[in-house]
Amino acid sequence: MREPRTRSRLVGIAAGLFALSLIAAACSSDDSGNKSSATTEKAATGGKTGGELVDLGTFLGDPPEFLDPGLNSTLNSYQVINELYDGLTDIDASDPANPKIVPLVAKSYEANADATVWTFKIRDGEQFSNGEPVLPSSFSRAWERASNKDFAGDYSYLFNFIKGGKEKLAGTATTLAGVKADDANMTLTVTLAKPYSNFDAVAGFQLFFPMPKAVDSLKDQKEWDKGLMIGNGPYKLAQPRTDTDIVLVRNDKWGGDVMGHKKAILDKVTFKVSKDTDTAYNAFEAGEGDSANIPPGRVKEADQNYGTTLDVNILGSYHFDINQKDPSVGGAKNLKLRQAIDMAINRSEINTAVFNGSRTVSTGVTPPGIPGFKKGLCDYCKYDPQGAKAAVDEWKAAGNSQSGPIKIQFNQGSGHENVVAIMVDNLKAVGIQAVADPKPAETYFSSLAKGSCVLCRAGWFADYPTYDNFMYDLFHKDAIGGNNYSQFDDPKFNSLVDEAKQTVDKAKQGDLFNQAEKILLNDDVGVIPLLWYRGAYVYNEKKFTNFQQTNFGLVLWDQIRRK
Amino acid sequence: MPSYIVRRVLLLVPTVFFALSFLFVLFFQLPGDPANLIAGGANRTPDPGVIQRARERYDLDKPVPTQFVNYWKRTLRWDLGESFADRRSVNDILGEHAKNSFRLGIWAILIEIVVGIGVGLIAALRRYSWSDRITTVITAGMSAVPVFVLGFVLQYIFAVYPNKHGWPDFLKLRTQGLGPNTWTFFFVPTGEEWRYVILPAVTLASVTTALVARMMRGSMLEVLRADYMRTARAKGLDERSVIVKHGLRNALIPVVTLIGIDFGTIIGVAVLTETTFSWPGLGSEIARSVTRRDLPVMLGLTLSVVVIYAVASLAVDLSYAWFDPRIRFGRRGDA
Repeated sequence: MREPRTRSRLVGIAAGLFALSLIAAACSSDDSGNKSSATTEKAATGGKTGGELVDLGTFLGDPPEFLDPGLNSTLNSYQVINELYDGLTDIDASDPANPKIVPLVAKSYEANADATVWTFKIRDGEQFSNGEPVLPSSFSRAWERASNKDFAGDYSYLFNFIKGGKEKLAGTATTLAGVKADDANMTLTVTLAKPYSNFDAVAGFQLFFPMPKAVDSLKDQKEWDKGLMIGNGPYKLAQPRTDTDIVLVRNDKWGGDVMGHKKAILDKVTFKVSKDTDTAYNAFEAGEGDSANIPPGRVKEADQNYGTTLDVNILGSYHFDINQKDPSVGGAKNLKLRQAIDMAINRSEINTAVFNGSRTVSTGVTPPGIPGFKKGLCDYCKYDPQGAKAAVDEWKAAGNSQSGPIKIQFNQGSGHENVVAIMVDNLKAVGIQAVADPKPAETYFSSLAKGSCVLCRAGWFADYPTYDNFMYDLFHKDAIGGNNYSQFDDPKFNSLVDEAKQTVDKAKQGDLFNQAEKILLNDDVGVIPLLWYRGAYVYNEKKFTNFQQTNFGLVLWDQIRRK
Repeated sequence: MPSYIVRRVLLLVPTVFFALSFLFVLFFQLPGDPANLIAGGANRTPDPGVIQRARERYDLDKPVPTQFVNYWKRTLRWDLGESFADRRSVNDILGEHAKNSFRLGIWAILIEIVVGIGVGLIAALRRYSWSDRITTVITAGMSAVPVFVLGFVLQYIFAVYPNKHGWPDFLKLRTQGLGPNTWTFFFVPTGEEWRYVILPAVTLASVTTALVARMMRGSMLEVLRADYMRTARAKGLDERSVIVKHGLRNALIPVVTLIGIDFGTIIGVAVLTETTFSWPGLGSEIARSVTRRDLPVMLGLTLSVVVIYAVASLAVDLSYAWFDPRIRFGRRGDA
């Protein structure tokens, strides 16, 4: 998901409780027992059950636009949705070194040899918070609802993975041809439009969460979001949300998670909407809440005085795209110039000066935590002003020159000004003229999609834990006109990504993606990676323990304990 | 007097019509396609089908003049429509936010009246004294400090610091939110509520309280030099009556005008204070509707603000008669 304009919406969407890695997941899985027996309750707990936590750091700026899993596209709302609903699959992170995708509401699942037909066996005894059983038809109901063309949310394109999804979204079909729900046998069979070996990860994404029968009687599906949405997660809504509060209380009918937790620890979690990050932090310090988001200038202070999630790597990338079709920076003749830009930028300085060191200097676009990730893929991302000068000289020696300063575009008002200012200085130091070019935020990305990018700021957070979510969605030729602002179109890259997406063997798949990313980063320099994100929650560690944030940015609210 | 009020109320009709029509036209001049933004285009590239459906759903595919006529037809039926962004009824949004704005605004205005007029009066009566000089410096400083800085500092002094130093709860003020909603007679904060209202009300009142104090001082000094004040004293009236009955009432006219105009501002456009204290009022909601290109919310809430301005301005005009009995309304040539 595209990086939003405010920090609160920062971490786009993530597939939260899915894998940090799919390597071990293969194409079939069975949890060999019931959910609650998978592992014992986390060791690092202690403390008391019950009590309330007030969060001030999730909803900053505006109240959430949507809480409906079929419509939401932001991480902040997903923090709540993930507590209200459970999906087919989940992540077992009990061994952080070897996380794996496991069935959650599904008892087991398997795919056929070419990963086109996926069969999910649904667990008996799962219930929604109103006591209604969770059946295969609860999933098909939710999927049919979310793929309805009049309802379709931002992520509805994911139904293109499923056979008949394209037709359903276009309105030429009334049902998803590839989805068969057999309640008698508790089986959900999904036929895909094309082989896709990561579908088990995608199937646990919020868009695919189940829905109870109550949604069938709604006149307008958007009403769901305004009322007491009924779900099957550890918490349920205590009251319909307001513009200022979202209040969750424990759902005693929850079926438990893959870590062996049987019920949410805290009785109540209240998310308060704060209009301003600094005010919210003040309120946290004034004891009005128990967790908050760290404002950029207060990272050190927060780290010294409170518990934080600053050490958690979030699956997101902050980078600048370079338009391959732009005459001033694109094409083979400007390759040396692009290499020089890459080497000239002092990423550590940007991280320290602008972000208080709260991010990680990146060595590629795809962040650590994505299955197949390999460190150090980028040959030119290391700060090397001498190398940059040499590359500029070589570029000039070939008869090239700058006809004007390179425009570094960014969406104004979102805190990128300081980053670009350092970049301009860095480039000037190696003999490249550049100028900051702020653009109105409202039209920034749509204008880039139409091809206006020269050297333009972009950012991306994983929708689900797959390498293709970075390579295919951002740099494949199919994404030109969409999120491929570099207009990147290298046939070798495209075919490697296409092949990787259909490869069932995870090790081989990772290798193919690595090769593709190297072409993007080194052979063509289609993007300038800068930073990877880290967590930014601060919490009152005198009162609470076990405050964990996943790599997708999701906090495990149901596992936080009072001290 | 009644005919004057009727005339003024009737004048409200063209005022509202032109203000909203102007906004309506302006809306379509803003950069960015509203349908694209409704479909989520601020952060990514939405599917063209979704954009098209958004356009059809909200009649944005129709020519602007048609949309304009439809808008006024609906508004005349007091159907303010529903939000583009979340489909909530604009009437509901208005009801909720206007209530919050009024509650905060009333206290800010009260601070403005009591502190502003009081301080201005003392400064005028003790001209060039230390108290005059100190209030001059403070009021100049207050009107120069940006609202969000003042808000932030007040939060630190009255909420963060007491919490860090273990002060008792009743001494800790609150930095954000509406509080427990324990209001009596609609606007009197009881229970815990007062701890939530004080800081935003003081912040909101700060700049204009300083202005009111300056204006009160100037206006009073002018009045004190007037002939009728000397006459009043010559008649043998005691100093208190001279100041209150003759001086203050006359000096208040320009001050009341300022406060009246400010009432509309405080209710309708207190964006910074509302943001700093997470107080969901009308101003921040209007600002949000503009960034979200949420036309029905923008127009619906602006309609209420225009009406509030007009009513406040009418009340100010009518109050002149009380302050200065020579002023009469209703007959041509008198007003």
